[in-house]
Amino acid sequence: MSYLSLHGVEKRFAGVQAVKDLSLEIEKGALVSFLGPSGCGKTSTLRMIAGFEEPDRGAILLGGEDITKLPANRRDIGMVFQSYALFPNMTVRSNIAFGLETRRLAAGEVRARVDAALEMVRLGDTANRYPHQLSGGQQQRIALARALAFRPRVLLLDEPLSALDAEVRVALRGEIRRIQSELAITTVYVTHDQEEALSISDLVAVMNKGSIEQVGTPEEIYHRPKTRFVAGFIGTANQFVGELSASGRIACDQLSICATAPSTSAAGGPVVVLVRPENIAIRMERPSEAGLNILEGDIETITFHGAVTRLGVNVGGRKVTADMTADQKNRGCALNQRVWLSFSPEACQVMPQEDP
Amino acid sequence: MSTRSTERRAPGARRLLLWLPLLPFFLFGILMEIIPILSVLLSSLRDSQGGLSLANYARAMTKINRESFMNSVRLSAITAALGVGIGSLAGYAIMQSRSLFFRKVATALADVATNFGGAPLAFAFIVTLGSTGIVTQLLKKAFGIALYPSFRVYSVSGLVLAYLYFQLPLMILLIQPSLRGLKEEWREAALNLGATEARYWAKVALPVLAPSLAGGFLLLFANSYGAYATAWTLTGPDINLVTIRIAALIRGEVQLEPGTADAMAVISLAIMSLCVLGSMLTNRLTQRWKS
Amino acid sequence: MRTRSAWRGAIIAIFLIYMLVPLLATLLFSFATRWDRTILPEGLSIQWWKAVMAKRAFGMTLRNSLALSLATMLASIILVAPTAYWTHLRLPKARPYVELFTILPFGIPGVVLALALIRCYARFGAAVVYSPAMLVAACMVISLPFMYRPVLNALNAADVKVLTEAAQSLGAGWFRTMTRVIVPNIMSGIASGALLVFSTVFVEFTLANLLVGARFKTFPMYLVEFTRFDGRQASALAVISFVFAWLASIGVLLAAGRSEGAREGAAGAK
Repeated sequence: MSYLSLHGVEKRFAGVQAVKDLSLEIEKGALVSFLGPSGCGKTSTLRMIAGFEEPDRGAILLGGEDITKLPANRRDIGMVFQSYALFPNMTVRSNIAFGLETRRLAAGEVRARVDAALEMVRLGDTANRYPHQLSGGQQQRIALARALAFRPRVLLLDEPLSALDAEVRVALRGEIRRIQSELAITTVYVTHDQEEALSISDLVAVMNKGSIEQVGTPEEIYHRPKTRFVAGFIGTANQFVGELSASGRIACDQLSICATAPSTSAAGGPVVVLVRPENIAIRMERPSEAGLNILEGDIETITFHGAVTRLGVNVGGRKVTADMTADQKNRGCALNQRVWLSFSPEACQVMPQEDP
Repeated sequence: MSTRSTERRAPGARRLLLWLPLLPFFLFGILMEIIPILSVLLSSLRDSQGGLSLANYARAMTKINRESFMNSVRLSAITAALGVGIGSLAGYAIMQSRSLFFRKVATALADVATNFGGAPLAFAFIVTLGSTGIVTQLLKKAFGIALYPSFRVYSVSGLVLAYLYFQLPLMILLIQPSLRGLKEEWREAALNLGATEARYWAKVALPVLAPSLAGGFLLLFANSYGAYATAWTLTGPDINLVTIRIAALIRGEVQLEPGTADAMAVISLAIMSLCVLGSMLTNRLTQRWKS
Repeated sequence: MRTRSAWRGAIIAIFLIYMLVPLLATLLFSFATRWDRTILPEGLSIQWWKAVMAKRAFGMTLRNSLALSLATMLASIILVAPTAYWTHLRLPKARPYVELFTILPFGIPGVVLALALIRCYARFGAAVVYSPAMLVAACMVISLPFMYRPVLNALNAADVKVLTEAAQSLGAGWFRTMTRVIVPNIMSGIASGALLVFSTVFVEFTLANLLVGARFKTFPMYLVEFTRFDGRQASALAVISFVFAWLASIGVLLAAGRSEGAREGAAGAK
């Protein structure tokens, strides 16, 4: 039984379709990320849940109640903004108390809840400071405390970390996840950062051009992308376009690739084969094992990425990307060197060329 | 500039050379601002025999002069208050307009009008709202509304109307940066936390705008207090304002000790400096949250 | 939502009516034949314009005001632009002092400035204190803020320090840096400032009236004189003043449009 549901929600801005026929069910206590490039409709969807935009069509249900037309200030939904949106004229304490005072809680109760919220984000000593006296990371933690202090039914986070430095971003990401699980609060998290989405979420909804392309656990999204867009957006993937033959092999120009379980796609139709760079092994001589896909090419680019070194290999005019781990690197390889790339049929993901 | 020759000089001399290009400007400022103001200040403290005395200040406080101060302060306070109130609302309305073209045109209009003032403006008001003015006639003939004699454009109420013509646009220009500084997210955050629109304005928007509104009031006050040409064209010597009075004393139209004008000028300078200093202070307050 | 846009529309409408009616009324009045018996003028004619422009004093005062405005404008550019540049780039320490002198005029009413100059310089004789040159200098004082702010904003916006360093690293000398890099980049600020000075001085009445009086009659003085005895011809003069103010302002907007923000903060006192 889902807690927050979107049913066929649509939104247009000045004739541009921002969100198309979007439906999603979110379980109580889950953290769901909307992940996608800018302009994919993820923030518009979040703002419709918050009540800042009204959908042109469709319905939003929260705990079985239709909140589609409920004003934003009566939804009991907490929101954290990309720009923190702390009130600059108020101390940290007054900021957090704001949502409690609008609900006319007793002064003692307000005080206790503010203290608890500050404790939760571990900033108890900042209560009497003003937002401009805090660092960006601290401000965003206060914004989180403010959004949670009135015990909302749902927490919304709109790119909460994108204005912060890389180090703070990673630390705060863990903090958000910790607090979210402690409170078991239903959370929708909007981000364009795939690493963030994969690391923090129970479920990721990948969005593109106003629609959800795929919903799944982070593992599903990464290892079993359902569409070319998802495969391309999450991590790096080599894509081979070809024809699926009756034998189960895929003919792709001069190459012939063998993939397991080419799913349901009809034989003879155009398909795309996806192979992640980390699943491709690099050999200095032609491998002799049977049952592997083997490509032969010359090294065109070598890019050091720390844990791995990424090679761009020219395979008959087609660029294939493969990763080499640090210990492989010691074997040495140089530009223009001839190498053999091998990958197992299990490493291939086959999908119809036309996105469903 | 030759670095080799300056390097050999003592650092003090080099530093002095660095100030040299600013010499004309500072000379101008000292000759045209500082010394003249000081000489008014000094002559206001002298009696006719050249001795130190406060007699001029006593004369500046005689009934008719005291009235001129009260009239000037009252006129300035009224036009500043109305200017801040209506100007902020109009500025907000203009800023909220969807059409970029309209926003630009309205801001341009405010820009021009701020610098209008003076004789042409006053005359435009006489043409419009004078006893045989166009709008006066229109109201009388088309709607049967007689403005005169209860309203007179040549009186204080006329001055208020005329001054607002440059006060409103000035406020619109002054408040625009602060209105732009009101982030839409603050409103959304307030609504999200359960507040009504009214509560958002009372607790967030107005407190954030407060220093700008106060600073705007002070600048508008000074702007109106120092104005002369508009009042002179509209009302001539009939109205008793400080600037009109000082001008009359300069021209020798009023038989009084010349030092009276000096004392009135010094008091005016004090009032104006308080306004300008105050507005600089509020300006600092608006910068406070922007770090 | 509906009610909010309604009050917005209403206040904008009132504002526009209030701002435009006096201008249109003056314009119409200057072309009207007779307008005291009817709601609309009984006829239109250019007789008032002809009459006022035929007068010798018309051309003289217009020339005087143009000369005064241009002289003040040029002198302000020469005084302020190098000062702003030097302060901004080489001597930021001097900035508070420079700004003091540019803010002070806001706090000095025109009549007080006139009085102060008379008190200070009358001892050198009427030929000095009541001269057109003194009037130009006084007009420079009241327009200092209008010149300084736009130039400073342009300097800020153009990031002149980096531009200078870039030009020098490319081997440009001082003169080449100035003429090819700095001046073109802050030209919009200088132009905005100059036009503001021009329009401020063109309508300036107080200083001219009190400092030089009848010896050097300016256009606004001529206008004030006319308001006392011929409204029709005065309205034609007022329209000319408005047109000059509008032209200067449009010039400012065009100049400022090229560097957004150069105009900001240029608004000032009367």
